[in-house]
Amino acid sequence: MHPYPVTNLRSRAKCLLVLAGLLCSLPYQSFVKADEFFEKKVRPLLIAKCYQCHSGTKSAGGLSLDSRRGWEMGGDSGPAISPGDLEKSLLIQAINYQGLEMPPADKGGPLNKDEIAILTKWVESGAQDPRISPEQIGGMSKAQAKTWWSYQTIHKTPATQSSDQIDELVRAQLGPAGLTPSAKADRRTLIRRATYDLTGLPPRYEDVVAFVNDASPDAFRKVIDRLLDSPQYGEHWGRHWLDVVRYADTAGENSDRPLPHIWRYRNWVIEALNKDMPFDRFVQQQLSGDLAPLDDTNAAKTNGIIATGYLSVARRYGHDINKDVHLMYEDIIDNLGKSMLGMTLGCARCHDHKYDPVSAADYYALYGIFSSTKFSFPGCEPIPHPSGLYNLIPDDIAATRQAEYEAAMAKFKAQQPNSPEEIARLKTEYAKHYEVLATKDIGEAGNEQLSSHLGDNAVRKIRKGEIIQLAVLRNGNYGADTTQIQLELENVDAPEKRWSSDELITLMDSDSPSIELRGATWSFLDVTNGPKFLVDKRTDIGGNSALHGWAAGDNPSYFSSVSDAPVVVWTTLPPKALFTHPGPNEDSGLSWVCPEDGNYKISGFVKDAHPISGGDGVSFRIEHFKDPTLGPQLIAFSKNNGELVPPIKPVLPVAFAVSDGEVADAKLHERGDPELEGDVIARRWLDVFGGNELANPEQSGRQELSNWITSHPLFTRTIANRIWQWHFGKGIVTTPNDLGSRGAPPSHPLLLEFLCQQLVAHDFRLKPIHRLIMLSETYQQDSLASEKSRNVDPGNLRLSYYSPRRLTAEEIRDSLLAVSGQLDTSPGQAHPFPAETTWNFSQHAPFNAVYPTTKRSVYMMVQRQRRHPFLALFDGPDPNTSTAARNQTTVPSQALYFLNDEFFHHASVATADRLLDSKDSQTLADQLYQRLYQRVPTEKEFDLTYQFYDDYPGSPNDKWAAFARALLASNEFLYID
Amino acid sequence: MKQFNRRQVLRSSIAGSMLLPGLTECLALDEQKRGTNQKTHFPAKAKNVIFLFMTGGVSHVDTFDPKPALHRDHGKEIKADHPEIKDRPGYERIYLKRPQWEFSPHGESGIEVSTLFPHVATCVDDIAMIRSMHTSHSNHYNATLGMHTGSFAFSRPSIGSWVTYGMGTVNQNLPGFIVIAPRQTYAGTQVYSNDFLPAINQGTLVVPGAEPIANVSPRLPKDRQRLELDALQALNSLHLDKRSNKEALQTRMKSFATAYGMQTAVPEAFDFSKETESTLHNYAIQPNSTAGFGWQCLAARRLVERGVRFVELIDTGSSGNWDAHGDMMSHVGLAKNVDQPIAALLKDLKQRGMLEETLVVWTTEFGRTPFNNTADAKGREHHPWAFTSWLAGAGVKKGIVHGATDEHGLRASEDTVHVHDFHATILHLLGFDHEKLTYRHAGRDYRLTDVEGSVVQNVLA
Repeated sequence: MHPYPVTNLRSRAKCLLVLAGLLCSLPYQSFVKADEFFEKKVRPLLIAKCYQCHSGTKSAGGLSLDSRRGWEMGGDSGPAISPGDLEKSLLIQAINYQGLEMPPADKGGPLNKDEIAILTKWVESGAQDPRISPEQIGGMSKAQAKTWWSYQTIHKTPATQSSDQIDELVRAQLGPAGLTPSAKADRRTLIRRATYDLTGLPPRYEDVVAFVNDASPDAFRKVIDRLLDSPQYGEHWGRHWLDVVRYADTAGENSDRPLPHIWRYRNWVIEALNKDMPFDRFVQQQLSGDLAPLDDTNAAKTNGIIATGYLSVARRYGHDINKDVHLMYEDIIDNLGKSMLGMTLGCARCHDHKYDPVSAADYYALYGIFSSTKFSFPGCEPIPHPSGLYNLIPDDIAATRQAEYEAAMAKFKAQQPNSPEEIARLKTEYAKHYEVLATKDIGEAGNEQLSSHLGDNAVRKIRKGEIIQLAVLRNGNYGADTTQIQLELENVDAPEKRWSSDELITLMDSDSPSIELRGATWSFLDVTNGPKFLVDKRTDIGGNSALHGWAAGDNPSYFSSVSDAPVVVWTTLPPKALFTHPGPNEDSGLSWVCPEDGNYKISGFVKDAHPISGGDGVSFRIEHFKDPTLGPQLIAFSKNNGELVPPIKPVLPVAFAVSDGEVADAKLHERGDPELEGDVIARRWLDVFGGNELANPEQSGRQELSNWITSHPLFTRTIANRIWQWHFGKGIVTTPNDLGSRGAPPSHPLLLEFLCQQLVAHDFRLKPIHRLIMLSETYQQDSLASEKSRNVDPGNLRLSYYSPRRLTAEEIRDSLLAVSGQLDTSPGQAHPFPAETTWNFSQHAPFNAVYPTTKRSVYMMVQRQRRHPFLALFDGPDPNTSTAARNQTTVPSQALYFLNDEFFHHASVATADRLLDSKDSQTLADQLYQRLYQRVPTEKEFDLTYQFYDDYPGSPNDKWAAFARALLASNEFLYID
Repeated sequence: MKQFNRRQVLRSSIAGSMLLPGLTECLALDEQKRGTNQKTHFPAKAKNVIFLFMTGGVSHVDTFDPKPALHRDHGKEIKADHPEIKDRPGYERIYLKRPQWEFSPHGESGIEVSTLFPHVATCVDDIAMIRSMHTSHSNHYNATLGMHTGSFAFSRPSIGSWVTYGMGTVNQNLPGFIVIAPRQTYAGTQVYSNDFLPAINQGTLVVPGAEPIANVSPRLPKDRQRLELDALQALNSLHLDKRSNKEALQTRMKSFATAYGMQTAVPEAFDFSKETESTLHNYAIQPNSTAGFGWQCLAARRLVERGVRFVELIDTGSSGNWDAHGDMMSHVGLAKNVDQPIAALLKDLKQRGMLEETLVVWTTEFGRTPFNNTADAKGREHHPWAFTSWLAGAGVKKGIVHGATDEHGLRASEDTVHVHDFHATILHLLGFDHEKLTYRHAGRDYRLTDVEGSVVQNVLA
């Protein structure tokens, strides 16, 4: 017996289908045009000129113009508008100052001609007004909403382990179209499909062989169980969810600041799926895990906080993100609508939803829940540093570690070489024995050789302990800019005794701003007012790992690029070079303490390294401090203290998350404009779903919201549809983020119903559903389309075969790493972001980095403002908005990747290097095909390989790497059947 | 023990046949497909666009919008509810600040241009100057995003993506939308992102230098690459048998032929060695140097010649640009970088007859304040209320000024043109009704101009 009466369900679903069809064919176009006129012209005018006295709680003369019902009922003088009849419309009389005079003189006076024309045209053409009427919520009547297919209750049925239902429901749609299911796929195809499907990785050849040779009836089930149990499952299915919730590692505001702690949320998602956490709880935790942890343990509490990273990862907007916070709330409401409810709630920010039953009031009811929530702050340009992070270890331990750090820091500061008295003393000493050897302005794009300006001073007698200094001076405070420098000193009597500042390029990450080389000592100084050491060590300047240096605050600074190639940061820095950047009010100085008496040739250059930045440019000065005791004093000054490297801030485990904040209902924003505040809207659930009020208004309401969402059938349908989509590439509803009236109707309504019922019956655990789906014959079909199917069902909506698909961006990269033996399967953790103390990101110089890794792609650092070049190339997710489904585009720049990319070439070489040592070419070819294709070559392929091997020049390794490239770039490697 | 060697191998017919003939065949096929993907809504005046974007906010009152009254009233205190001074300490009082450069009329049209742009001044008779531009945000990031996508906060497709989506591409060996920028501007890659439009419409970034487009330089000698490609296509041909997704697989095979061609076509497009010395001189290009805007302008002409639909040139990046808070004198170097090359580009296009089919757009994200917080301040602040942009070429009225700002250049006051109107006009010149060039995404029909925009009829020839 069937677990539920199939026929009844079928007929019910038929009704639903018919209904869905009707809804989809509503004559939108006719009123869309009028709507547009209302939205573009009429509504703004009413808001600007009439709402002041005739909206919300203010309805002068009893007339309210902020809804259709308002003017229909009218005020003290009766209905304000008679649609289509200008003569009978009081509003028209009033704006023409006939009888009534509106707007009155003290409220702005009469409307101008154009404005009168707009209202006249509107009334004349029927006064179409899409604003709420009692029978209508947003774009749907209450009656329509009541019967909308995706809002219907899901009937409970017992859990089943049998996949027969799936096949039956799929076949029910094949028959009428004259289609039959395809044959079962061969075992190699099947295990390759399943392995990518559950883990995003290719199977190992050994696993393929074991499966092919497993004669037991539950061989495939064993494969599925093994894959579901592997940690790679959560990494792959976690990535699906991260797509939907637009996960990113940066905040997305104008300087795109790193989110150094959000990785904990990413890993939480992965672990939760690996543990098969029921999906309703999974979602509840993300909305309110801080308020309602899964249990009372510390671990559960910590995880509950981390899970709310879903909310805190919301995109931030603008320069001062606090000023555009309403956009962050929109991002959240829009995302939770799409990801959890298949609803486009974001549309209701500016006006009632045009097609679905969501009013602007609904939107602001949810808005209040999030504006009552306190979010970790990522920092932004005017408020540079993160705050409001959540401690994940007990407060007392955190406090102790922080106190230890602060004590060490205080001690360090006290030991700094820059004691004001010593600087002042040295300044006086310097001034007594001082000669300027050369000085010159460096204009825009200027490049000055020191020798051209030193004249007779180019060769100079210098005694041991005397100092030569190249100072770079800001001009006014407009000149401070990146300047490339070189200073060289050569003993003319012994040319092998030569010192060049170029030697410092690779030494900037040493532990002191004072560096000894062959007896001479170089120092990086602020020389505005006596010699002051630049003691702030800077690594990864501008987020670039090639740039290190020493600075005081942001500048003045000295830094070098160790890269062999130009580095693009705020400007393009030449390779292997030393730079200084004076401060807006400070000059910088590179000093050299002479190691032995001699005649020295001084040379080098000073060059503008940031042309087209405008300003007055900088100038330089070559100075000679002619007292042999000065050098030793300066060196002693740098050494008379303890550590020069500051203590490292303790890394306390913290989460970028949320908690309840100041609780209050929000005001509606007219037209979405936060400056045009309307009525206060009580926090509550969506009107169409009952409009439940908060039982506990002292809380933000997130916890209740998370229950409302996960107990609604729309949630179940959205998730069940996604599971199917992530197995087959296409959802039963092909618009997985929209199960509303603008979304596609389900292709197999009963199948979706069955999946929903089973999801509920299995406590919202995904793994039993994977088994149900993957053990079906539908899933195990081969990928060959019959002629008939191609003709009657070109999109394979009826599933008469398994639709082949291309690997996703992450699957391509992970596969290349895996088959070439480079994949590091350990979970990723934090990214190597520059330390927070060094952040000076701005919209002019936003954070920008790509961190190479051999871990799985789900652990790559994903930036919002600058897409990762690889992910962007292969249709990776958009980290700015929910990605419902991946595209599979084919563009020539992808082919260029396979022809010339370094990472790809490296993978091919690694693949060849990994081939087992054998002189037998057959063995080597077999190995290659086994690793890359998980099969042995056919005869034709073997011939091809033979010929290639023969024709291709170079060593055996070159040949194999070259052939590996062909295999790795091939369609067979890139597509799943 | 088996060894690979010639004697053992029976020459495979598959491999041999897949050599170049395969590739050439694919290319020939593309040749037939030339033309547009979509139909325009009405005949297009412009077939290509060169979009010149000056990053940082060019001061209108110092360049293209003469304001004698600003000279007269220099130092006079004014009041303005301006976004850049609101709640800003030290900006409680503001004073008009005079332009630092002289204006004079040029050409037959007599349009006034300042001494910052002496070369562009010689082209005014081909230009429609819009002096009444205004925008919706006073922040670089948002205004730059708005000028490129019509959205001032969210990521949306770039104008270049919309245009290539609408018109399709002509040269299969080159991308349809190319952005040449020495550095990233504000809002990063979002300014040339295809967002939800098909990926083929994404802007391809060219950074002047050794490898203009990522991975376009062959890593291997040609003969080796050919052998590998032949092997790849042979493997793919074997694999193709009986697949249900043949079309996708063949498209991918073809994309390798295109990529192969790009390796030659792209460097060729950026190889100026066949340009005459006088051309290089006109564009102010130094021999063997890719520095400066001249290189970008000449590259733009060469790309348009080769059928690239939309070329955007960004003059600097998100710092060291026109953002002259400190001192307006920084405009001198920036103007010098672009002035002669832009004039050379306009004249070159005209002389070659290309200006009739090419629309040249010059713009920035916003203007600069005609005031500051002290009478002797050297710089100017961000100014979304008014700025100047101009159009030239295909379908554009020649030698006219559209719109005006008030006497001090504070507000666009006559025939104002919002960024959305500007976009609508550009699309119109390309044959599109901006309200009809839409794309269905997330349940909504999106367009470049959001729900706004009207075509500026007065600038149409």
